[in-house]
Amino acid sequence: MRTLANILVKELLQLKRDPKILPILFMAPVVQLTILGYAATTDVRRVELAVCDLDRTPASRDLVDAFTTSTYFRRVVTVPSQDGFDAWLDSGRARIALTVPAGYAADRTAGRPVEVQLIADGSDAMSGTLGLSYAQGVLQRVAEGQGFRLPVELRPKVLYNPDLVSRNYMVPGVLAMILMIMTMMLTSMALVRETEIGTMEQLLVTPLTPGSIIVGKLVPYALVGAVEIGTALPVVLFWFRVPLEGSFAVLVLLTAPFMLCTLGLGLLVSTLARTQQQAMMISTFVFMMPQIYLSGFVFPIQNMPQIFQWITYAIPLRYYVTVLRGVFLKGVGLETLWPQGLAMLGLGVVILALARLRFRQRLG
Amino acid sequence: MSSPAPAGDGEIVVSAHDLSRSFGDFVAVDRVSFEVTRGEIFGFLGSNGAGKTTTIRMLCGLLAPTSGSGTVAGYDIATQADRVKTRIGYMSQRFSLYADLTVDENLRFWGGAYGLWGDRLHRRREWAVEAAGLEQRRHSLVRDLPGGFRQRLALGSALLHEPPVVFLDEPTGGVDPEARRRFWDLIDDLVEAGTTVFVTTHSMDEAERCHRVALMHAGELLALDTVPALKDVFPKDCVLEVGCPRAADAMERLEEVAGVEDVSLFGDRLHVVVDRPDRIGDVETELDTGGFTPFEVRAVTPSLEDVFIKVIRDADAGEGT
Amino acid sequence: MIRRVLAVTVKELLQLKRDWRTLIALLGMPVVMLLIYGFALSFDVQDIRLAVVDRSRTAESRELIQAFLQSGYFIRVASLDDTRELDGLLDSGRAQAALVIDAGLAADVAARRPTSIQLVLDGSDSQTASTILGYARQIVAATAPELLDVELEPPVAAAPVVWYNPNLESSIFLVPGLVAFILMITSVIATALAVVREKERGTMESLRATPLRAFELLIGKTLPYLLVGSVAAAGSLGLAWLLFDVPIRGSILWLAVLTVLFLAGGLGWGVLISTLADTQQVAFQMGLLSSMLPTLLLSGFVFPISSMPAALQVISHIVPARYFIASLREVMLKGVGPEVWWNDALALIVFGVVVMGLATVRTVRSL
Repeated sequence: MRTLANILVKELLQLKRDPKILPILFMAPVVQLTILGYAATTDVRRVELAVCDLDRTPASRDLVDAFTTSTYFRRVVTVPSQDGFDAWLDSGRARIALTVPAGYAADRTAGRPVEVQLIADGSDAMSGTLGLSYAQGVLQRVAEGQGFRLPVELRPKVLYNPDLVSRNYMVPGVLAMILMIMTMMLTSMALVRETEIGTMEQLLVTPLTPGSIIVGKLVPYALVGAVEIGTALPVVLFWFRVPLEGSFAVLVLLTAPFMLCTLGLGLLVSTLARTQQQAMMISTFVFMMPQIYLSGFVFPIQNMPQIFQWITYAIPLRYYVTVLRGVFLKGVGLETLWPQGLAMLGLGVVILALARLRFRQRLG
Repeated sequence: MSSPAPAGDGEIVVSAHDLSRSFGDFVAVDRVSFEVTRGEIFGFLGSNGAGKTTTIRMLCGLLAPTSGSGTVAGYDIATQADRVKTRIGYMSQRFSLYADLTVDENLRFWGGAYGLWGDRLHRRREWAVEAAGLEQRRHSLVRDLPGGFRQRLALGSALLHEPPVVFLDEPTGGVDPEARRRFWDLIDDLVEAGTTVFVTTHSMDEAERCHRVALMHAGELLALDTVPALKDVFPKDCVLEVGCPRAADAMERLEEVAGVEDVSLFGDRLHVVVDRPDRIGDVETELDTGGFTPFEVRAVTPSLEDVFIKVIRDADAGEGT
Repeated sequence: MIRRVLAVTVKELLQLKRDWRTLIALLGMPVVMLLIYGFALSFDVQDIRLAVVDRSRTAESRELIQAFLQSGYFIRVASLDDTRELDGLLDSGRAQAALVIDAGLAADVAARRPTSIQLVLDGSDSQTASTILGYARQIVAATAPELLDVELEPPVAAAPVVWYNPNLESSIFLVPGLVAFILMITSVIATALAVVREKERGTMESLRATPLRAFELLIGKTLPYLLVGSVAAAGSLGLAWLLFDVPIRGSILWLAVLTVLFLAGGLGWGVLISTLADTQQVAFQMGLLSSMLPTLLLSGFVFPISSMPAALQVISHIVPARYFIASLREVMLKGVGPEVWWNDALALIVFGVVVMGLATVRTVRSL
């Protein structure tokens, strides 16, 4: 116990002396969270709409208005003929082009079904897909306004995020990512720095066991992680107003095994790298990028080819993102999230064991 | 010039038997054997890459030997590395204190790492501060200290737990001569108190201050003896010091003379090793006829460097045949 | 002047050749990253996990359920009798959507009364949820009239046409962005490290003692990386075309011009960073943060710029990848020429000139 306290005091003194550490600790998560939280949105709003009204009747104008008065579309231009679409779609200034055919009003009055044409820019597949589906929704409402009913209707009921705000989904993911980056990077750098300046060797000739050196190194960075969460959570809750449906205690409880993984990864990196620069490279390209891309944080795991889906099971961030989204949006507790907790705990233990093994190999 | 014989009782404190270490195909240390007795200053002399640091790291339990065995303070280095660590002090060739901690914080930490606490820790900290001459600066950050102070502080921190054996790996690299002298005074004090000092160096001056010196080259231990005994590899009066113009050109000419075994440059002088003392005349004549009329030729006591060069050349020649 | 620039370039190329690790990293990293992430990343929603609660158990309800399963979008993960178990399935994420059919469906259909079925959705991933809802609407709209054996057409319907990417495959949209992302990171970091290394080793001092002008030195140092970067870019774009079926509809020449402009900007950014950093470690950190995050977030690579708050939209104008990704999509997918993307190209040129100019000024000042 005294040994451990001795190492802790030294680590904390060093953290305190580092002039760069305080801004990194307190500012970085808040700044990153704010920018990422705003930027990382997959909501498609105000899709740029080009209109070609070949009918020019009050009825056709009503139809166009049905599009432009919805929040989904924003008219950027009205062209006299469909040829005019090319330039707007080619340059990306319009994403969806709507053509109302000549004879629209006449057909409607006669009760004949009419088709309007929609052209979507598929080069931006996200805006394209969503734009088309919004347009279908607008047309359906127009049809219903005319008293048209499908014999069987679909009544959607959206759980957890009824207004389908992507921010509620992305921001907890961003929080998980920041926590991972900070704890992993700082841990790996701290250990490699000791190797670089030569104090690691000095530590190893003391009677301190490798285990206590490692634990002494990890605890301060676990504290750092706690500080990160403490500064970032208020931003999530009060600035972005992401609802916290579940229990705060569960959140904290399941953060612990995740930190075990990230700290362990930092440690593993430090046993693989000889210089701080190598540590940065390895943690960025070998550990961080795959975690960000393959965790389901931005790109849904179910859309990946099977082999990548298997790989994601080895990614701690995958489980933690699920935990955060579960606790924030779904309000679920341990009864649902225990497999994730267990998986992170298992991964954490394996990672730490690997790191310990590498640590020893470096000596022999 | 060398220190008097060690004051100890002749008890063996460090020993190595056919100690070897390879990294892949590269043999860094090749079957090295020696014994060091209590109270001895044991010097390890060799150029960079000779295997000195690898040997020291094996003895400190930082590196497992590929083969062979060794003991330090009675413990086996391969199987009892943990026990070894409580009995030794180690100062690596790189400066190894925390630059961002103060003198006192460093000593507290390293003392704690060796399991010191309470009164004893306090006493030893005071001792280390005093030994380093840092009484006025105990709350300065280590990064702000001049090199010589840091060196002595590093030594002090390696000695906090009063180890019977100290390993110093090129302790005075990059330190000015005055600081180096003060550092060695500290070592002499230690030895008087019965500590055994194991030091590696490539400085001949420092090696002269050791009781016994081991010469290492390419992983092998080539010679091991007291400094005067090492110098006896040369017959009496067979090392000549020559002062002459254009010494570098004269060197080539002298190498051709019969009976001259070796010529090397020492500053602006030449050291010429001959097989018999009476070759001195041949050397003078040769220089005269070559237009390098010497202003001084005299027999000198060989320096350790002469010994070092000769031992290595003999070893290389032996391998060549 | 040309001779002096050339001398620096030749020296840099020689060092690069000796340092084969870096060279491999520069050429291989983009390809490896493209291979991994190009395959892994997709917004194409598939295999939607559907739970089914069929309280009707009639031919009609089974026909509706079959329509969902045969659409190819949905897979059934559970058949329940009761909605009570739904919560657990959705909470744990084992199901993403649930189709609930009430007992009265068949009777309503027989009596020609309007009726409805319910789709319960996990809305936490809003984008996936919107897509699922879109699919479900189409399926119901197509199947419902069949149940009644009637021809039923809504008074207004859409005839959708998708240009440039008819199947709306997200890889075609993501891969060009991924290429830009990878090239930006490697070019910025490689140059930043190359210049700072020279500082660290002290050879910058020696170069300062020669008649080389700051500008010549910087050009000479970046040219080899422009060369290597172009090879890596050609490899990545070729791979995108070969493996991910991303079409190259426009002229390869224009593609090359835009790529070189973008690389020049990235390299210039790397040089600028190297004038601010004194160690390779700091250079790496600055290079990584300033290239990775903006290119990932503010370039339109993944997240649509038009949906961001105004302040971020303004900031996105200084992110070179924004212009490169837009023009890349225009040349590759739309096959259009400079008349459409001249302003993107101009922005890239301005960015390159400004950062190189700033880097020169900073170097001169430090000399």
